[in-house]
Amino acid sequence: MDYILNVTGYILEGSLITFKLYLATAVFAVLLGIFGALGKISNIKFINKVLEIYTWVFRGTPLLLQLFFAYYGLPIIGITLQPFTAATLTFIVNYGAYFTEIFRAGIESIDKGQYEAAQVLGMNYRQTMVRIILPQTIKRVLPPTSNEAINLVKDSALVAAIGLGDLLRAAKVVVTRDFTITPFIIAAIMYLLISSVIVTVFRQLEKKYSVYE
Amino acid sequence: MKMIEANKLFKKFADLQVLRDVTFAVEQGEVISVIGPSGSGKSTLLRCLIGLEKINDGKIIIEGLDAVKTGKKAYRKMGMVFQGFNLFPHKTVLENLMVAPMLVNKNNKNELRKKSEKLLSKVGLIDKKDVYPSKLSGGQKQRVAIARALAMEPDIMLFDEPTSSLDPELVGEVLAVIKKLAEEKITMMVVTHEMGFAREVSDRVFFMDEGKILTDSTPDEIFLNPEEERIKLFLNKIL
Ligand SMILES: Nc1ncnc2c1ncn2[C@@H]1O[C@H](COP(=O)(O)OP(=O)(O)O)[C@@H](O)[C@H]1O
Ligand SMILES: [Mg+2]
Repeated sequence: MDYILNVTGYILEGSLITFKLYLATAVFAVLLGIFGALGKISNIKFINKVLEIYTWVFRGTPLLLQLFFAYYGLPIIGITLQPFTAATLTFIVNYGAYFTEIFRAGIESIDKGQYEAAQVLGMNYRQTMVRIILPQTIKRVLPPTSNEAINLVKDSALVAAIGLGDLLRAAKVVVTRDFTITPFIIAAIMYLLISSVIVTVFRQLEKKYSVYE
Repeated sequence: MKMIEANKLFKKFADLQVLRDVTFAVEQGEVISVIGPSGSGKSTLLRCLIGLEKINDGKIIIEGLDAVKTGKKAYRKMGMVFQGFNLFPHKTVLENLMVAPMLVNKNNKNELRKKSEKLLSKVGLIDKKDVYPSKLSGGQKQRVAIARALAMEPDIMLFDEPTSSLDPELVGEVLAVIKKLAEEKITMMVVTHEMGFAREVSDRVFFMDEGKILTDSTPDEIFLNPEEERIKLFLNKIL
């Protein structure tokens, strides 16, 4: 029992990095996604094109490749990043691409009558987006966003590949050292706990946003 | 005083000429019904007046202001009610009325609430003020939409087939509200297929066909002895 507590404590320390990465990615990738989506639906051709290429590249290549590129590739052209910085930036940009597409589809699913009603009532573009369109979009994008939030929990384990001591890597260290399978089971339980919390949070959000159904 | 002056309006979508040389004027307090076959350009005409569509040529003067040049200040003199209501589903009935005046006119919230509640009483829906639109019948939705437009205190109301998507038994309650506005001498243009309403309420009836106002006449003239063959055919079909 002591052994399990010991190992759990060690793995929990590793999970700190996982949590930091998760939080930073969740916050900034969502912001990036909102602005990316607004850029994609704007009628500025140049921005449309740039964002088109952005989502094409980052959704079309493996996250692990992007991670290697940021950590092992960029130093070759003179940009050296700390492992955590490289990982966080990669995750933000990668998930930002997915959120851009999710939010764009969400915004575009809102009936154009909503824009027209807002316009004839005298609202400007910003008021229309902030007060009328985006609040309705939130409700529609919650399910796909929830999926991405779960994916992010699992993807966070990829950072072990560039030597970051995250939850999974901490577990692996103990497995190699003590030649026992227990740490992996503990790690699996932790991932499940985190995922469950996220699912619960999103379920509450979905309930909150369904009051007007 | 002339509230609306439309002068030689032209509008086309790609190759389709939808408005061809539309000219008319509406006086303060007048109620105009716009009738005519589907696709004749009735909706497009209203949408051009309020700036939802850009005209290709011509002039729109709203209370003396050139609408296209003046923009918002001219368009704000008008309110519009759509066939599909377009209520904001994530806002309660009262919030639907309050959101625009609060953002656009920066009205005091308490006064605005009182004013909005008064409007809801006027359309008979004060008891629904805290419910979401999804809980309302079509007729109730449209009455909320009318109250929402009135909350911006427009001088002119444009209605685009306000009862066409309603079950027959709900048409009356919406027409009753519009009638009430007519009695208050709000200037109105109403695109409608309700000939009884057009006949009873309007001062003039525009018959539109293929992007033109074919006739501009009193209800009696057009309903009792229509001159044009096109109008006779249309009326026979619809009545
Ligand atoms: N946004 C649009 N793009 C292309 N064609 C349109 C558009 N809006 C209307 N039209 C066409 O313009 C014509 C007039 O439409 P509309 O003004 O809606 O007629 P009405 O309201 O009298 O039925 C129709 O042929 C319609 O298909
Ligand atoms: Mg129409």
